[in-house]
Amino acid sequence: MNNEEKFTVPSTQFVENPEGYELKVALPGIGKEDAELHVEGRTLVLRARSKYQNPAGFRQVAAEFEHESYAMSADLPEMADVGTLAAKLENGLLTVAIKKRPETQPRKIDIL
Amino acid sequence: MNTIMNIDPWGFLDDLLGVPNRTFQAMRARAAGRFPPVNVFLDDHAILLDLQLPGKTAKDVSLTLEPQAVVIADKPAAEGGKEARPAWSRRLDLPFRVDADKANAKFTDGILRIELPKAEREGVKHIAIQ
Repeated sequence: MNNEEKFTVPSTQFVENPEGYELKVALPGIGKEDAELHVEGRTLVLRARSKYQNPAGFRQVAAEFEHESYAMSADLPEMADVGTLAAKLENGLLTVAIKKRPETQPRKIDIL
Repeated sequence: MNTIMNIDPWGFLDDLLGVPNRTFQAMRARAAGRFPPVNVFLDDHAILLDLQLPGKTAKDVSLTLEPQAVVIADKPAAEGGKEARPAWSRRLDLPFRVDADKANAKFTDGILRIELPKAEREGVKHIAIQ
């Protein structure tokens, strides 16, 4: 038997806006207590173990998804201010918001 | 050359479409469009449907029960009083009539579980043989 744990790379969406970045990660079946998020240097590392269970006593007649555990890592852009990183996991969707470093923001210059 | 003659050129379809090949089934479902993947479970008294809908809540999904089918659809936000068309909808045929009053559906962490108990058969009477 192979006891190696199987991880799947989740579906993600990465959006840049003038103030920062937003990363959305689809983690169906994953609750807050099942996910771990780390920042190692400029790399964001996610690991999540599914607690999704097939109902007991039923037989499965169609299977289009499996109980997946998820793992991914993403290099954050140079302009990202890692200290501002905020994450929330709601209804199986992880949203990570990161602001851009203040010095990279457009600055309005008063004309004298 | 016998070996070649014995090869079923369409045999791979059985592998691809066969129930054991769940990974491929899931890929097909996802590749087919934006439909949420579904797992279906059955016992003698009920059918259970699990759908992956990350980020969605009860207000985002509509559920319609027909006598022997269930329709799960995206509930688009009505803009300016106009009702938009759903982005997706899935109609699943059921193997038996279900009791709509006892049906229930619940979201947990982006997975919608719909439980549809089998309807008691109406008009069926057991007659004792004298």
